Amino acid sequence: MILDLQNVSFGYSRQQTTLNNVSLSVRPGVSVGLVGESGSGKTTLLRLMLGLVRPTSGTIRFGDQNLDPGNGTFMQRYRRSVQPVFQDPYSSLDPRQRVVDIIAEPLRSLRIPGDRTQAVADALEAVGLPLDAMRRYPHEFSGGQRQRIAIARAIVAGPQIVLADEAVSALDLSTRIRIVELFKTLSEKLTLVFVSHDLGVVAALCEEMVILERGQVVESGKTRDILASPTHPYTQRLLASIPRMPA
Amino acid sequence: MTALLTIQGLDIRAGDKPLVSGLSLSIRPGERIGLIGESGSGKSMTAMAATGLLPTSIRVTGSIELDGQQVVGAPDKTMNRLRGAAAAVVFQEPLTALDPLMKIGRQIAEPVRRRLEREGGKVSKDAISREVRDLIDKVALPQPERIINSYPHEVSGGQRQRVAIAMALACRPKLLIADEPTTALDVTTQAEILKLLDQLVRETGMALLFISHDLPVVSQVVERVIVLKNGVAVEEGAVNTVFGNPQHVYTRSLVEAARLFDEALGATGS
Amino acid sequence: MSPIETSASTRERRHSLALTVGLALVALNLAVAVLTLFWTPYDPLNASGGRLEAPSLLHWLGTDRLGRDLLTQLMIGARTALLVGTGAVAIGAAIGVSLGILAAFATRLADDVMAATLDILIAFPTLLLAMLVVAASDSASLWTAILALGLAISAIVARLTRILAKRVLRLDYIVASRTSGTSWPGVVFRHVLPNIWPTLSVNFALQFGLAVIAEASLSYLGLGAPPPNASWGRLLQEAQGTVYTAPIGAIAPGIALVALVIGMNLLADGLRDIADPTHGRSR
Repeated sequence: MILDLQNVSFGYSRQQTTLNNVSLSVRPGVSVGLVGESGSGKTTLLRLMLGLVRPTSGTIRFGDQNLDPGNGTFMQRYRRSVQPVFQDPYSSLDPRQRVVDIIAEPLRSLRIPGDRTQAVADALEAVGLPLDAMRRYPHEFSGGQRQRIAIARAIVAGPQIVLADEAVSALDLSTRIRIVELFKTLSEKLTLVFVSHDLGVVAALCEEMVILERGQVVESGKTRDILASPTHPYTQRLLASIPRMPA
Repeated sequence: MTALLTIQGLDIRAGDKPLVSGLSLSIRPGERIGLIGESGSGKSMTAMAATGLLPTSIRVTGSIELDGQQVVGAPDKTMNRLRGAAAAVVFQEPLTALDPLMKIGRQIAEPVRRRLEREGGKVSKDAISREVRDLIDKVALPQPERIINSYPHEVSGGQRQRVAIAMALACRPKLLIADEPTTALDVTTQAEILKLLDQLVRETGMALLFISHDLPVVSQVVERVIVLKNGVAVEEGAVNTVFGNPQHVYTRSLVEAARLFDEALGATGS
Repeated sequence: MSPIETSASTRERRHSLALTVGLALVALNLAVAVLTLFWTPYDPLNASGGRLEAPSLLHWLGTDRLGRDLLTQLMIGARTALLVGTGAVAIGAAIGVSLGILAAFATRLADDVMAATLDILIAFPTLLLAMLVVAASDSASLWTAILALGLAISAIVARLTRILAKRVLRLDYIVASRTSGTSWPGVVFRHVLPNIWPTLSVNFALQFGLAVIAEASLSYLGLGAPPPNASWGRLLQEAQGTVYTAPIGAIAPGIALVALVIGMNLLADGLRDIADPTHGRSR
């Protein structure tokens, strides 16, 4: 078990609880999808897992240690191991930075030794972008390509876990399928945690699923099993609402 | 039966860039057509051109006949009369489609009043108020009093979209153009809105032009589809035919992608 | 979708013309100002000709009421204007940007207090503020004027920086930078400042123009730098009495003032395009 959340609750204010008693475990090599609609708390859950906010109650353990956002040394190690990919390819890249600097930022800030240019080149290759992308600026790329750049930034430090927050929701169908394929390839070497409202994408990528409704986990387990026979009424409603292709 | 909307050889250009090239399509009363395309396909442009809503810096050539009236080159006055009566539009983003500073009741009342004035009937406060409540009921919005007195940000996204649909219906249009109406909504809300649209279109006998990039969504509400790629129509036909046996390589790639996600979900009705 | 201008090429052409003119005007003033450090046609302090002489080959713009060469005075005026403009903007930027960034990170309460304070300061006309500072200090000097104007400018810059920084801080790439392990100061220098710079630099250029005019106003009122620091404002004030008999005395500094300020404003537009790698193109 790499990342383990136990009875985590979070509220931005005393009256408002965004997450209520959430427990989930991320096991090495087992990709997991966090499924929820708006108001489910999935974004907050992601921010907790990224160490951007502290839980109001409950524990988050990474390996054998507690996730403590205040502990600088711990966070350095944690950030190297857990990296995010965000939803909007147009706001997740600094428009005034060259691609090479964008991708190399984790290497620089986390003080990772080694040839930075080579590491960036390897990352670009892994995401299917040409090397000459390094000298260019984000605005020269399409949405799908930008997302690849964001993914390159996420994997350049060799993380154990990649947390993707609706990482393909803003993409066209034909681009979406290619990025999903990229995630699938990458998930062979790292553990993927994929937050999405789109069950189709989660089903294509994740072995396991956690269904969230209004800040609580209503169902979790193997994707195949949940899809075949969902137990919780919310899951059933969710599955029934998904528009299907005509036979 | 004459077509409600006939587009022939439509070309839309912005400067040197062609956005739509040589598009032709026709919609007969009561027909439901889907316009499928990804970003940059020109699908929204076509809808805007059909209602004369494109800015003057964008050049439109070709023929667009809406309810017998030529739209290309038509003065704004003519178009104002046509809009609402001939065609009404429901947009993608419910948050920006409604005026944030005006109560919902007033916003729905506006197109109602305009329509009553247009028809020359009695335009009393009571008549308007009655119709507003009637529309709110038609789009299955609960607690009409609360809705009427709320501001857009006080109700949910799905409810806002229902309000937008109510406003479109208020015009009693012959053609309803829905441009990605459910894309910004949750899955469960989307299913409800699609069902609502389906029901309303059947009840009123309106024609429907449904624009979307989402193949399974489109297949829920339309009979015929037109696939656009970079402003060019690459395939057209009955929904089941085009999705079941796509001819064009682009359509095939879209259908394959959609089926991939669909199949990952397992058998239907599980 | 934003409507694309059909006359994009015309717009570009007009733009580069403005930039060239702006650059030329500012460069001219700068060249003249630098030149005065080494050489002026005549001694600015002492008479070198008769009183109120008309323009001649000896004195290209004639002489003032004390017989001093007008061209020399004008040239030194350029030096004063540029010094004050640059100095005031530099001080205003240094203080303003720092305060603005701090305000952007401040908690709700502190931020509200800061915003309110800035709003009150901005409500004072720049000139009035400057006059208050000059009056409060013992003697009027070039540096007093620069400081005074700098403080007035800093309030406006702080307000603008705060808003721009807050907008940037909400974007995903800031979160991405944090999760890459970058510290908050790192985020500010690497991501926030570069992204607010295009808009800020335009504002700086505009403030420069305002500072130059403000200094001229201070000098006109007798609150500016005393001789030997010639100022176009003082020249205008001295030329008041003789504007009908020797109009060149008022026309020359007037044109100089206008030329520099317009030049800077034109440059401001061009600056923004240069500083922004996307060159106005979005998505």
